[in-house]
Amino acid sequence: MESASIPARPSRARGEVVREFISRFGLIAILLILPVAYGIQDLQDDGDLSRLATNIKDGLSNGAIWALIAVGYTLVYGIIELINFAHGDLFMLGSFVAYSLMGTIGLTVATGGIGLFLGLLLILLIAMVACGSLNTMIERVAYRPLRSAPKLAPLITAVGFSFILQNVGLLWLGGSHRGVPDLIESQERFTTIFGVPLTHGDLLAVVVTVPLFFVLLNYINFSRIGRAMRATAQDPQAARLMGINVDTTIAFTFLLGGLMAGAAGLIYALYQTDVWFFAGFTAGLIAFTSAVMGGIGNLKGAILGGLIIGIIQQISDNRIGTEWTPAIVFGYLVLILVFRPQGLLGEQTREAG
Amino acid sequence: MSTSETTPETTLPPQGPAILETNYLTKQFGGLTAVDGVSFRVPERSIVSIIGPNGAGKTTFFNMLTGLYKPTLGTVVFDGKNVTMKRPDQITALGVARTFQNIRLFGTMSAVENVLVGQHARMRATVFGSIFRTPRVRREERNAQDKAREVLSYVGVGKRRHDDAASYLSYGDQRRVEIARALASDPKLLLLDEPTAGMNPQESEQLTGFMRKLRDERELAILLIEHDMKVVMGVSEQVTVLDHGEKIAEGEPTKVRSDPKVVEAYLGKQG
Amino acid sequence: MSTLATRARTFKPPTRIGKVSTNLILTIAVIVIAAVLPFFYDSGSGFMNDATVALIYVVMALGLNIVVGFAGLLDLGYVAFFAIGAYTMGWFGSGFFSTADIHIGVSEQLSNLPGIHINWLLILPIAAIFSAFMGALLGFPTLRLRGDYIAIVTLAFGEIIGRIAVNSDEGVFGIGTFNLTNGRSGITPVDKIDIPLVDRFTTLNLRPWYWTALALALVILFINFRLRDSRIGRAWVAVREDEVAAISMGIPTVRVKLLAYAMGAAMGGMAGTFLGSFYNTVNADQFEFSFSIFVLAMIILGGLGSIWGVVLGAIVLSFINTNLIPDVLNGVPGKLGLDFDLTELGFGIFGFLLVIMMVLRPQGLIPERRHMVEFEEGIGGGDVETVVETRG
Repeated sequence: MESASIPARPSRARGEVVREFISRFGLIAILLILPVAYGIQDLQDDGDLSRLATNIKDGLSNGAIWALIAVGYTLVYGIIELINFAHGDLFMLGSFVAYSLMGTIGLTVATGGIGLFLGLLLILLIAMVACGSLNTMIERVAYRPLRSAPKLAPLITAVGFSFILQNVGLLWLGGSHRGVPDLIESQERFTTIFGVPLTHGDLLAVVVTVPLFFVLLNYINFSRIGRAMRATAQDPQAARLMGINVDTTIAFTFLLGGLMAGAAGLIYALYQTDVWFFAGFTAGLIAFTSAVMGGIGNLKGAILGGLIIGIIQQISDNRIGTEWTPAIVFGYLVLILVFRPQGLLGEQTREAG
Repeated sequence: MSTSETTPETTLPPQGPAILETNYLTKQFGGLTAVDGVSFRVPERSIVSIIGPNGAGKTTFFNMLTGLYKPTLGTVVFDGKNVTMKRPDQITALGVARTFQNIRLFGTMSAVENVLVGQHARMRATVFGSIFRTPRVRREERNAQDKAREVLSYVGVGKRRHDDAASYLSYGDQRRVEIARALASDPKLLLLDEPTAGMNPQESEQLTGFMRKLRDERELAILLIEHDMKVVMGVSEQVTVLDHGEKIAEGEPTKVRSDPKVVEAYLGKQG
Repeated sequence: MSTLATRARTFKPPTRIGKVSTNLILTIAVIVIAAVLPFFYDSGSGFMNDATVALIYVVMALGLNIVVGFAGLLDLGYVAFFAIGAYTMGWFGSGFFSTADIHIGVSEQLSNLPGIHINWLLILPIAAIFSAFMGALLGFPTLRLRGDYIAIVTLAFGEIIGRIAVNSDEGVFGIGTFNLTNGRSGITPVDKIDIPLVDRFTTLNLRPWYWTALALALVILFINFRLRDSRIGRAWVAVREDEVAAISMGIPTVRVKLLAYAMGAAMGGMAGTFLGSFYNTVNADQFEFSFSIFVLAMIILGGLGSIWGVVLGAIVLSFINTNLIPDVLNGVPGKLGLDFDLTELGFGIFGFLLVIMMVLRPQGLIPERRHMVEFEEGIGGGDVETVVETRG
């Protein structure tokens, strides 16, 4: 018989903490590889970090858009553990709504000051409401009947709706990219900080998303419905027993996600001055990666994830080539899901916010 | 004649070589210590019980024995081999089989198919052999089918039920199929997690009789987690008591039952 | 309870007429009909083309069925193996590597051309092995993930392979300058299949293509039936239903899952080689996410895990794709006085079909008995519990 060892009694719980630290630190390290590598290259080539800093700045602006979309993914996944495949295409339709309304209202490059501001505000609201309602409708029609079915069923339904929405986009504005009038002169720089040019586009991204995130975070954390959402995400049975209307709460979650996607659509249209029916697919995957990166189900995580992925995407676009960026972002997605599925901030359990 | 209240057959704790031995087995989940330094042995061809109040760590302990959890500290030695870090399927192949507290049959498979799965580790059919259905594979399948039905009858599942989908079987039959599935791997040690849960007294008695039969006819060692004291007292040669993850008592059933620490664990401090 | 449910309760052996089961008789009948079908159609007709493609989709669907239907691993990146198989055909059966001069088992005519020209019958096993290897490789990271994460990771892999296909005309991931796939232009022309003792395969006479595809489909079908009722088949179902119980019963779950990925991938790869030759081109535009969903829809429509169901689903969807939408539906809008091209709706219609399918009849056309029980009792799903901390 093999001799059995009698080990001493160290506190092995520390081992768990160390492992957790390594895994989180490891993820951060992987995320830093690209910026650091190119930072060093920049110092060698240019002598300063302004190119990298510009990449990062652009990445943050783009990332704000991804963050808005990621919020939708993370809230929905947190509450019913469904990857809403159609969410990216919802965002795409939001951008289409924005684009079309610009024409309808008659906003042009010539429209000035107050008119432009009010017009865009109106478009923002309409786009948000449109996407919010659409998302809620899809939930009611496609996902709610399948809530007790094996997970495959709603997933396939989501993919189906993704295709439907893409086709709607295709029929609406055709298969080619459509140029959006550069209403805010998105490339026009208004200031330069540390050699990094800040453009109107950046300003737009910040001005719209920051308040939205602020309101959203506070709403989820402090309102009654927000509490209901978090409760349902943790334990739907218990929530129901506490008198929470789970169906309504879930519908509301979809509404919130849709609102954010609509806003993202408008910002995207103005910032990129381009809309395309297939943009939702890529945007969706990027935004989902962001949500996972930050910790699926975790609202702050989605925002953080969006910004980080935005930076990585920008560095990749600028340094490696836009054709490789999707592959690189997906590569990160795989790495996260395999080595640290809870992302940067998330825990393993179902939780929202 | 009911023998459930009388003392078990042997009045001394069983000696002899151990089929299973743990040494200071410990499991910590983050800050929580579920099992704390439990050293324990199961002698060959014996029936041994683990009892303790809810949350004492019994199922966690089981899970470490079968490889579902990796122990934080300590070792598990089965049949002379150190299996502490082995995977569950490896441990099963070595001769440990188990049932679960909440029955975990493959509901979409028939009773026979469940028991066939239980024989997976004992069969050798490869992909190649299965595709070409070589004589060896055909023979193996036939034997396995025969054996499956035989074991099902042995545990008391009626022939008409053999091909029924497992999730449509009665609760009692499901429990029997789970045991049959475990027996199908020709184990040397059988772990039963609360096998009499949901049974009435007659059924429990049938089961204890059956356990003795298994021990004697198949030379099995059986390790039980049980809550039903009549069963524990009636069939165990040795009883181990866990509370808050620690072993607080061990020995023959009657001795353990009157141990003040055990009484306190179950009923709270007296006076 | 419905009769379908009652049928699911007890798994009876098949009914027999004398010594031969009715299943066998039906199977033979189907095979015979399929074999003589070409004689009723022009050898170069559109129908023959569509039928050949349908048979290849049957192979693909059967492959994916092993991964998703049997083992319960939600694979959304199956297009990767179509690509791998097709490119293998492209590399070893064309003038792509024009500096090489390798000829094995090919006709006189091809022997004089530059490039690597190996007979398809030899490329087939090469592609199968390569695909199987890649299948296991790509499946490996998913082993400890829960169902929907497996879907995302496999989808991501499918996309990554797709991107590599599109961009690798000059280096891979920006490294080097080797032209691996020729990007969007792709590899063309591709050698025609050449089976000794059989008439030459041309673009005009589709019969040899059809029968070859049929032979391939029958072989794969045979393999599927054998595997389903074997030790490994049971292991797959066990792992799908309850991984913790499965591993506790002695099933080496890692090996079993990798085997499912490998087999599914091998079949996809083999199908890919055929299509590479049949279409006479291998280019990146053929490999998109929608393809993975297309094949997945076939097995869902047919009945997840049900072998004949999957065959039916593949044939139905393939014909809808090549026939119904372009030819039949195209006339409809005109008659209704509308002015758009219905082929542009292909995507949306497909998506709509998916939604309808899942809401109305998720168990498919020919439900597989185990999945029937699953849908009724709400069992399974194959999610790994967070309690399991096993190694490997």
